[in-house]
Amino acid sequence: MTTTSAPVLSFRGATKTYGTLTTTVTALDGVTVDIPAGQFTAIMGPSGSGKSTLMNLAAGLDDPTSGEVWLDEHPLHLLGDEARTMLRRTHVGFVFQAFNLVPTLTAYENVLLPFDLTGRKPTAEGLAWVDRLFCELGLDERRDHRPAELSGGQQQRVAIARALGSRPRIVIADEPTGNLDTRSSREVLGLLRSAVDTYDQTIAMVSHDPVAASHADRVLLIADGRIVGDHGRCTPEEIASLLIGLEVDAA
Amino acid sequence: MRGSLVLGSNRQLGTIAVVGGICGAYAALLIMVSAIFATAGSASGTGGLGAIFAVVSSVFIGVALYVSAVVIVNCVDTVLAGMLPRIALLRLLGSSASTLRAAVTRRAVAVAVGGGVGGLLVGTVAAWILRLVLIHDGVLKPLHYPVASGWLLVPVAAVAATTWVAGGIGTRGVLRATPAAGMLGAAVGVVATAVRPLRAGLSLVVIGLGAALLGLSAWLGEAGGTPLGFLVAFLGAVTTGSGLLLGARLVIPAVVSGMGRLLGDGPSARIARRNAVTNPLRTTRSTMGLVIGVTLVTTFATGTDALRRSVHSWVTSASQQRDTLSILSTVTVVLVVVILFSAAIAAVGFVSTMSLTVIERTREIGVLRALGFTTGQVRRMVVLEAAALACSAITFGILLGLVFGSIGAQSLIGVHTHGFVWGRPWIVLGAIVAAALALVFVSSVAPARRAVSVSPAEALRSL
Repeated sequence: MTTTSAPVLSFRGATKTYGTLTTTVTALDGVTVDIPAGQFTAIMGPSGSGKSTLMNLAAGLDDPTSGEVWLDEHPLHLLGDEARTMLRRTHVGFVFQAFNLVPTLTAYENVLLPFDLTGRKPTAEGLAWVDRLFCELGLDERRDHRPAELSGGQQQRVAIARALGSRPRIVIADEPTGNLDTRSSREVLGLLRSAVDTYDQTIAMVSHDPVAASHADRVLLIADGRIVGDHGRCTPEEIASLLIGLEVDAA
Repeated sequence: MRGSLVLGSNRQLGTIAVVGGICGAYAALLIMVSAIFATAGSASGTGGLGAIFAVVSSVFIGVALYVSAVVIVNCVDTVLAGMLPRIALLRLLGSSASTLRAAVTRRAVAVAVGGGVGGLLVGTVAAWILRLVLIHDGVLKPLHYPVASGWLLVPVAAVAATTWVAGGIGTRGVLRATPAAGMLGAAVGVVATAVRPLRAGLSLVVIGLGAALLGLSAWLGEAGGTPLGFLVAFLGAVTTGSGLLLGARLVIPAVVSGMGRLLGDGPSARIARRNAVTNPLRTTRSTMGLVIGVTLVTTFATGTDALRRSVHSWVTSASQQRDTLSILSTVTVVLVVVILFSAAIAAVGFVSTMSLTVIERTREIGVLRALGFTTGQVRRMVVLEAAALACSAITFGILLGLVFGSIGAQSLIGVHTHGFVWGRPWIVLGAIVAAALALVFVSSVAPARRAVSVSPAEALRSL
């Protein structure tokens, strides 16, 4: 515990197993970790290490088999699906690898969707914030375009606007640059970084790209469902050697 | 297991088998009843009745086959759209598009013929039972009626041919999946092809011509009671209907999106409304059969109702009125029941398309759940989409039917009746609305439950 404020996200012995009685896969094995507010945390590890499971638990998309998951001091492990959904609406923003915009809605409607879901009209302040996001993300001219009419980089910027739009407590980004070319990747990472620096946005990003993770304040390494490393800001080279270390240890 | 690589599961093929089955049962029933009429007619010297029934039956069987073809095209197309990544993979591994298309079409034909033969047996047995009941009640004389008819082979051939053509049209989507897409594992987007202006123009001209014929027939009916008026009305309705079918891709999505506005503007309603018309071609095909069925039912019910109202306004003897009304109600019931089969085929197609489209959207539903849609909101979204589609089809069909039916009646007896009489067959209309609600329920409950049973984490993983 190095931070003073309460963590946005807290795992306490969180375990997740999948499968039947005969074949069980332990995706997450007693993870205890805190994600403090206002930080950009990268979660890294080889495929199948449990990164995505960790994020699914954090967002309340999945239940832990045992242990606790706290989101902004709400016990997700105790809440039902409905309560978790309500919490997700207001507390969590998502950025996915496959962009995952709603294909039938325009860019602007996609960004306003989290507001619509609460059933209230967005406040003037909220709308001004969305306008500012559109402007800063260079999407002003693309407002009324459908996702299919946008490039990958543009779609991901819309997704970022959607994630930041409702000013969630945490933005969860799952391989946000996985489907992007290098230039768009750099842009997207720069935008995430500036959201942290400018607006104190808390971001947790799953990635296996050392360059992407080098934008983060903290790098968590995960392997075989356990946290095996917790580092501060690193260069891409340092991260790459940490990852290679993981593979060599496993071998 | 050959062929099952592309199109194989019961869910996917079930619709085709059911549609083939209904067609077979329907055709067998009509053919056997025609044969019974023919035998009874030649015995009593009124062979004309059997001949008329045979002609009318073949028209109705034709309508049912057309509706089936539309349903099968949509079924094949929807199933394949959901499987494009797999098809692309097969293309990548060396299958040619034409081999895949042929495999899908062959399998669809086999399943449809299987269903058709099954239906044929059911229909034939139903006709035997009907005959025994009628003989028992003394309506039919106990003669030597045929047990089967050579004509029964015709619908089987027709179902096979129809499915073959429908399969060919439905598998055009296979060509969209390029092997390169398979390599990328990318989802292949919907290709929205524009309606060719020639088609749109032609459709408008045909609709205009049909409307003119309908107007002319109403005038002919008012001017003098020649049978010519009814013939013109029939031609007018058929022409207008053909024009609407020709331009269905323009008309139906417009009707659906207009209707969708009535659903409100919550996030569930908005996405439902957009989803209902995302793929205009699929929207058109899944609702066209319903429009045809409802139009036909409403036309006959309205026509006979308008006649009934006119009969009431005439000054005739009470017994004459009673006889006319009794004939009219029998005719209504027979016609409506006969057309119900086509409507049932259309309904099967609608249910199947709804469920396949929702399965196709598993991932999108996962995203919506991740963004904060509750299970209730996802359910509402599916139900509203079904409601927008079904209600549009039914409203459109009812309006067309009211116009066609009333004009038909006017063309027959306009000269005897003061002014234009609108048929208002409340009972039939009420039944149609009830059927529409049932259809929305049946077509959305299972897909909605399926949509919310997948955990969002799982849905997001799926491709």
